[in-house]
Amino acid sequence: MPGALACIEACIPALRRYARVLLHGSQDADDLVHDTLLRALDKLSARHDDAEVRPWLFAIMHNLFVSQKRREKVRRQSTSPIDVEAIAIPVREHQEDALRWHDLVRVFNTLPEEQRAVLLLVSIENFSYAEVARVLGLPLGTVMSRLARGRERLRGLIEGDGDGRSYLRRVK
Amino acid sequence: MTGAQHSIMEDELHAYVDGMLEPGRRAEVERYLHAHPEVFRRFKAYEAQRDDLREAFSGQLGEPLVSSLDLTTLVEERLTRRRVPWSAAAAVALALLVGGAGGWLLGLRPQNDIAALASEAAASYAVYAADKHRPVELWAAQQDDLTRWVSNRLNRLVAPPDLAGAGYQFLGGRLVPTKHGPAAMFMYESRQAGRLMLFVRPMTVTRNNPIEQVELGDVDGCAWIDRGVGYTLVAPEPYAKLLELSDHVRQLMQTSG
Repeated sequence: MPGALACIEACIPALRRYARVLLHGSQDADDLVHDTLLRALDKLSARHDDAEVRPWLFAIMHNLFVSQKRREKVRRQSTSPIDVEAIAIPVREHQEDALRWHDLVRVFNTLPEEQRAVLLLVSIENFSYAEVARVLGLPLGTVMSRLARGRERLRGLIEGDGDGRSYLRRVK
Repeated sequence: MTGAQHSIMEDELHAYVDGMLEPGRRAEVERYLHAHPEVFRRFKAYEAQRDDLREAFSGQLGEPLVSSLDLTTLVEERLTRRRVPWSAAAAVALALLVGGAGGWLLGLRPQNDIAALASEAAASYAVYAADKHRPVELWAAQQDDLTRWVSNRLNRLVAPPDLAGAGYQFLGGRLVPTKHGPAAMFMYESRQAGRLMLFVRPMTVTRNNPIEQVELGDVDGCAWIDRGVGYTLVAPEPYAKLLELSDHVRQLMQTSG
């Protein structure tokens, strides 16, 4: 328990990153993190195992995101298409790689949200597959198939779809 | 290779990319990959993709934190927001955060009825818990008489909860005077911790108040209001344990009342 608050604090940058991926980099991302932290403080119990805090926080955020999305859907009745070019996600700004990272993030953001979530939790946050299943409230098999589809789709986008067009060229 | 085997293999290949295989299995998967150049190429691409994603998104971690996400501020806001009952757990967290902050919580939130209740309880605890030989008027053997007595005077059924499961044996109790009328005092004892007191009196308000920490001089306590009845639990225990005991008592009193 003494470490639970410190664990939460250490997760904040990663939670912001995940929120931006879910919300396409919009300003609402920090609001989602804010709500997640408040919810977490509400539910924090003396019995929390420090190691469980990270997946627990991501699960809280995911649930808030899902219910928020559901409310918005009711309000708007339809989701407007995302303007990929307008997505403003800060990326690493140094070396000649900057452009490449920027392109990669842009391409990544064209994936369906469910695939982005799994790819981020697995590839970037290093969660185990079982943890991802718990965070997203999905069966393990669904996580695995979203991971496989997300990776294959991203590969297709990176390497070009065979129509001569490539979003991103690897500079090796 | 059959379809079933293939799909198992597919998951394992992803686990290979994510570094989640046992060393032995990892070597087997590597052998398989070297024998299948097409699959090898695909999963090497996934591996590079994973590395690139980590790089591309790593910049965001170093960003300065905005003040709306400062955890210490959030915990404080939680405590001072009067209309929303703040969680007792957040209070524990804050106490740990600021390090041994004892009783300032009460000062932070002027809760008149809770404060009055707590100070009456503190007076009773100081007088009766310290009395080695006669801490109570009626002992545990006369529990039924005690219950009848305090229930008659408080105009509602007030019976001592059984806390033996939490390590506290019931000693007995008495009626005690307060500025706001009679109150019931129940005393318990644990060989390890010492004496625990539950103090109960009807409140002038009917609203509920969640369990919160109150400072009572040398010992800590928790106080709450449930359906117009105020409770204070006092014991020489750490706050987390007090919270647990209070929550337990609150539930017991709800089912018995």
